[in-house]
Amino acid sequence: MKVTVKSWTAVATWRWVANDDNCGICRMAFDGCCPDCKIPGDDCPLVWGQCSHCFHIHCIMKWLNSQQVHQQCPMCRQEWKFKE
Amino acid sequence: MAASSEEFGAAWKIIETSFSSSKKLDPAPPVISPLGLQSAVELLINHGIGHIIEEWFLEVMNADLQQRIAPNFLAYFSSSVPEDEIGNFMSKVIAELYDNLSAYIPKLGQLDEISMCISLPTPSSMDGLNTVLYNEKKSRQPAMERAQSIFKAMLLPQYQIPESLYANVQKFYSLTMRVHHTTDEADIKANNEDRDDECIRCTGCCCDTDNCQCQTLLHIFHQVNQQLYELGLLERFAGEAVTSVIHEKIQDYVQHTCKGNFESSYLSCLETWLETKVVGWLSEVYRGSEGCERYNDPNTATSVEAYKSRLYYLLYETYTVVRIDQLFNIIIEYPESEPAIVDLRCCLEKTNLRSQLVTSLKTALETRLLHPGVNTADILTAYISGIRALRVLDPTGVILELVCEPVRKYLRTRDDTVRCIVSSLTDDSSSDLADELVRGEPLLLDDSCQGEEDMANWETWYPDPVDADPTKTSKSRRSSDIISMLVNIYGSKELFVNEYRTLLADRILSQFNYDTEKEIRYLELLKLRFGEAQLHYCEVMLKDVADSKRINSLIHNGELQGHQSMDIPVNAMILSAQFWPTFREDKLELPAGIKSSLDAYTKNFETLKGNRTLCWKPHLGLVSLEIELKDRKVHISCSPVHATIIMHFQEKSKWTVDELSVIMHVPVSVLRHKMAFWQSQGLLKEESADTFILIEEGKGGRHDIHMIDIEEETESAMASSHDQREEELQVFWSYIVGMLTNLETLPLEKIHTMLKVFAMQGPSTGECSIQELKHFLDRKVKEQHLIYAGGVYRLPKPGS
Ligand SMILES: [Zn+2]
Ligand SMILES: [Zn+2]
Ligand SMILES: [Zn+2]
Repeated sequence: MKVTVKSWTAVATWRWVANDDNCGICRMAFDGCCPDCKIPGDDCPLVWGQCSHCFHIHCIMKWLNSQQVHQQCPMCRQEWKFKE
Repeated sequence: MAASSEEFGAAWKIIETSFSSSKKLDPAPPVISPLGLQSAVELLINHGIGHIIEEWFLEVMNADLQQRIAPNFLAYFSSSVPEDEIGNFMSKVIAELYDNLSAYIPKLGQLDEISMCISLPTPSSMDGLNTVLYNEKKSRQPAMERAQSIFKAMLLPQYQIPESLYANVQKFYSLTMRVHHTTDEADIKANNEDRDDECIRCTGCCCDTDNCQCQTLLHIFHQVNQQLYELGLLERFAGEAVTSVIHEKIQDYVQHTCKGNFESSYLSCLETWLETKVVGWLSEVYRGSEGCERYNDPNTATSVEAYKSRLYYLLYETYTVVRIDQLFNIIIEYPESEPAIVDLRCCLEKTNLRSQLVTSLKTALETRLLHPGVNTADILTAYISGIRALRVLDPTGVILELVCEPVRKYLRTRDDTVRCIVSSLTDDSSSDLADELVRGEPLLLDDSCQGEEDMANWETWYPDPVDADPTKTSKSRRSSDIISMLVNIYGSKELFVNEYRTLLADRILSQFNYDTEKEIRYLELLKLRFGEAQLHYCEVMLKDVADSKRINSLIHNGELQGHQSMDIPVNAMILSAQFWPTFREDKLELPAGIKSSLDAYTKNFETLKGNRTLCWKPHLGLVSLEIELKDRKVHISCSPVHATIIMHFQEKSKWTVDELSVIMHVPVSVLRHKMAFWQSQGLLKEESADTFILIEEGKGGRHDIHMIDIEEETESAMASSHDQREEELQVFWSYIVGMLTNLETLPLEKIHTMLKVFAMQGPSTGECSIQELKHFLDRKVKEQHLIYAGGVYRLPKPGS
């Protein structure tokens, strides 16, 4: 007997490769989206800081805009710099 | 001027002779000159004893009736007369009675004349005694009336008419009614009608047609009625029988005419029938045919009219009862049965059968619909027909509310109700609900219209019927549409939306059809009903499907930088886990070749979407296989588990379930079940218990290519509602532990009440019945997480 697979339709869930499950700012799952968004993934991406913490891009932008003087990571209080 | 006793004697002799009516006793009565009689009567009147003539006469008549006429008359009726003799029998008996009694009748007029001559005392000279006499005479009944009362009392005493007499009379009127109807229709029937059979009988008199008795019977019918009428006996003699014959006829006719047919209206043709056939016949009984003397008697006309209105009522009532009996079927056949519903609505207005209708329909629903033998989809279909039909029947919505409450209650106890509703909402084939959805009205929930009676429409307002539930506004009763009524069975939109989400997930993950156009259309319609926010998750799910399609084609066109090629063509359905219902987490170790292809796919995905990766659900999916055997080639679509099983049989042709279980990481019990699929396809055989071998060569040795689809019962990819419920109950558990930590001991009812206040607020956790809670707590006791003693629950002491 010879079995040939003509096609294999498989099911997967996607997830962000991050060291945490939830965004430290909005407490929502990374695999979901920030409170301002409706659609996860491309429309509400994550960004990483050089400190290696990551957040929903919308969440960190809001956070940084609210900080008058120092632009710090809300988790480790290091200066926030986007990871290249 | 007193008269001598001789004079009195002579005068009385004259009177006696003159009034004597019994021919038998006095065959040749001496001729009395009118003048002689007059002076004889005057003599008596002048001596103030004129009235005794009438008393004496009626006394004589009474005695004759009692001793001779009545016993003879009643004796005739002692036995049942056969139908073919009843006409002649009745003719003879009534004619004889008429002869006997009519001998007295001419004298009665004379008596009235005499009493006119008895002068009344002048009112001025009245003393007490004379006043009594005066009043007596003034209110004197005509002799004819007095005689007729005697006839009735002697011949047909009320409540004492023998049963056999009544039966014969009924037979007579039943026959004559039939004859009447037949002769009425004779001219119509003569032409058509397939009655040239061997035995030809008249449908009226039941005699051979060449010996038809109909005309004779009609003659007898009129003669009997006329004679009874003249004797004042018609009503007493015929009334009850005529009524019962008519009632029977109406019952019969209504039953036969509209039996089982709900698709035409019968009301006006029934009315016409009643007017021409029944009232026509009735009128012939009581008024005779046109032209006879009593036809113009206003009293008779009035009584026929009164009778007629009773008959109409009876007709409506009969028809209503027939329709009420069939109402369940009428509802099931709605809208084809709309004419029957409209008829019934008219009849309900004219009769008093509303509460009977409600009771009867409730019972019918309970016995025919609300039991385990009927599947939920059928109950729902009937419920929907019921809503539509009963709205037409009673636009106030009150009957609907009364009748359907048990249906709603019952539907709430079925697990699959919501699923059935949701699936038929978005199903192409069951048009009813899908049509409703397309109408796209916003959902009207019970609580959203309380106390919002629309003042703008006060001019068209009408009060609710008395049987209405006062806690519901009439607006909610009248205007909520069918989908709203269905959703209101549970009273929660969330439940429906969640169910829809599970259904949609199952549909996507069983069909793997990347074309979502149809689902998007449904979703748009559902959003109009349930609101944008509620269905947001479903929107993301459908977007996942569209995105997956795009990602698949990007990965397969090979233009990706560092493209990893795959040995096996893999397509993926990539889901946003947060937005999908919880998945069943089944384990499955896929064949190495598949795993490496999936890994390659993952790499490609990671290249495409930086910082994102995939977690495969190996047990989910759809596999298309081409299987080449020694003598045949088979194409099969199946699940990954099935595919994995058969692929292992390439390596060796004999496996035990245990061996497969070890390498596939699938429990033995599940595997056994899955093997059955390949057995049914004729590829595997259970050689001995739990040992399977490959069948390389089919017995028929056919070489044709088989196209086989999976026909297994489709298993849901989602966690079952039972599992989800379990999760919800675990939420309650944390509350219960909290309560018992603070309060130490609590009875069941108290726990339930507190949960209701603190934990059952969320829409998804919803209700938990006290039985369900008890069940849950009992299990916790068994698992030793809880102690039950003395009617209260408490937590076990830590460390004990
Ligand atoms: Zn966030
Ligand atoms: Zn966002
Ligand atoms: Zn940081």
